[in-house]
Amino acid sequence: MRTTLLRPIAVLISFVALGACSSKGGDTARQYGPDPYLPEPHEYLMPPMSVPKATGWKPGEMPTASGGLKVEALATGLEHPRTLYTLPNGDILVVESNSPGTEPFRPKDFIAGRVKARAGAAEKGGNRITLLRDADGNGKPALRTVFIDHLHSPYGIVLVGDTLYVANTDAILAFNYAPGATQITSPGVKLADLPAGPIDHHWTKSMTANADGSKLYVGVGSNSNITENGMDVEEGRAAIYEVDRLTGAKRIFASGTRNPTSVAFEPQTGQLFAVVNERDEIGPDLVPDYLTSIRQGGFYGWPYSYWGNHVDVRVHPQRPDLVTRAIKPDYGLSSHVAPLGLLFSEGQRLSPAFANGAFIGEHGSWDRSPLSGYQVIFVPFVNGRPVGNPLPVLTGFLGSDNETVHGRPVGLALDRSGALLVADDVGNTVWRVSAVNPGT
Amino acid sequence: MLAPKPSGNVDSSGDPRIEQLHRTIGQSRPRALLHREVIGAAGVLQIAAFCTDYTYYTTAVWQWANFSAWLITAGLIVTLFAVILLLIDLATGRARRLNTGSFILVTAATLLSLVNAFVHSRDAWTSVVPQGILLSAVSAILLVIAGTRGWSLARSRTTGEHP
Repeated sequence: MRTTLLRPIAVLISFVALGACSSKGGDTARQYGPDPYLPEPHEYLMPPMSVPKATGWKPGEMPTASGGLKVEALATGLEHPRTLYTLPNGDILVVESNSPGTEPFRPKDFIAGRVKARAGAAEKGGNRITLLRDADGNGKPALRTVFIDHLHSPYGIVLVGDTLYVANTDAILAFNYAPGATQITSPGVKLADLPAGPIDHHWTKSMTANADGSKLYVGVGSNSNITENGMDVEEGRAAIYEVDRLTGAKRIFASGTRNPTSVAFEPQTGQLFAVVNERDEIGPDLVPDYLTSIRQGGFYGWPYSYWGNHVDVRVHPQRPDLVTRAIKPDYGLSSHVAPLGLLFSEGQRLSPAFANGAFIGEHGSWDRSPLSGYQVIFVPFVNGRPVGNPLPVLTGFLGSDNETVHGRPVGLALDRSGALLVADDVGNTVWRVSAVNPGT
Repeated sequence: MLAPKPSGNVDSSGDPRIEQLHRTIGQSRPRALLHREVIGAAGVLQIAAFCTDYTYYTTAVWQWANFSAWLITAGLIVTLFAVILLLIDLATGRARRLNTGSFILVTAATLLSLVNAFVHSRDAWTSVVPQGILLSAVSAILLVIAGTRGWSLARSRTTGEHP
């Protein structure tokens, strides 16, 4: 309730005694780790929103790398880059994509569409994968080609043997990949359908493969914030699928994960992890997004409950039987930061501080004030578990006024030299973060 | 609801000055109020929103809550048109003065519906239960009363006591 336009509405609210609630978010540090602070949920007439205006990067502007690191633009002028993947020969794939577009259902959807556009999230995606080749590793790719074109809101990508799997929003496609190829023109072969339309609210299909390459794991987001589009369209959504790579047979591996935007295996233990975007509109500090190990058959709460067994009253009918078995996530990332990228570090090539743990790209909040996220962080791991406080890796995506945003980090990858690559889908850039003194 | 009657049949509630005026100037046709039917249309939309709210409450089928959100929004937009027409009625002399009772009823219902539009912008069950359906029920009751009073928010020039 900050802008002048909303003030009369706020007065009206108090007049009819429906109760206006405090809309300012508190200290995000309370919501990191295994036991985040969880305030009481509130429902609003107007959920607290704070949407920074997307401005992009002017020449010379760039995000800020933390101590001992430097940052440079590896590629600019991309079309909404979301996911990054490094091939064995060092070529870097950039998946350029955005939502397939959804039709407004309710009066509020028209407002939401304008909010998204302001934040730079309504831009059309390239629906393609661009290849960058930086053979000498100097951060200036000598070759840039359109690797695969005419995809349908692609997101997840993984190479197993000589087959490259691309998760479109509606299906996994398999492409033959010859080492060194700079372009694939043959159409992909469909391995398996994925839950998509007609709404496809959370459209991204994150994907990874297990160590022996026998199975693919695909994150499928819910079809709504909190079942407002009906229960029937949530069939098979908000889940992590296991897909047999040879037959395409799929099954739900874990469920109740509202929007699992990135899945990855922890290298020490081989345990599957995911970052999950939690529900909105019950407060600036609810519900913390999280990083968690994914247990086979596990249920992580959505839609009936959050952070274990905290019931969400917006869901009807409720399911106390499912709430009792809802798993508490491992590690809170604080609320509304929108973790989209998850990448486990591979030793200390970037920095000794980042030897063991996970990088997380936080796309940034829209229904929280003050803004939160808009950075890349590192969560340290000990014995295969997230431990301690996160460290900043790449910040400065927000303008100094905190009302404009230059870029929003999404997918992450390590290049062959161990530098961290960060896709920025508002700045339309891939950033490369490397050690100032390599080899330390 | 009631078509304007020829002036000769109008019950002017015993205001002899008006009867005298009509006789004197020989005015045969009063000008109809512009806003009345439009207020009626808006009222019907808001009353319908209570019906869809009730159906959502009993079935939990989301599409009914969706209908409610659209009906309330449409009702408010139509009300806005009606207010403009009411101002024209007053400015052009079609209406003489506000019909206080109906005006208060419709104004209260509209303010409740405005709040309700925001309540209905919430997600899932609590967009309707309990606050949303409570607001649409009270709003519907006020509007039904306004409807029985003939929807008119102002008294017309030719009818001293518009129903």
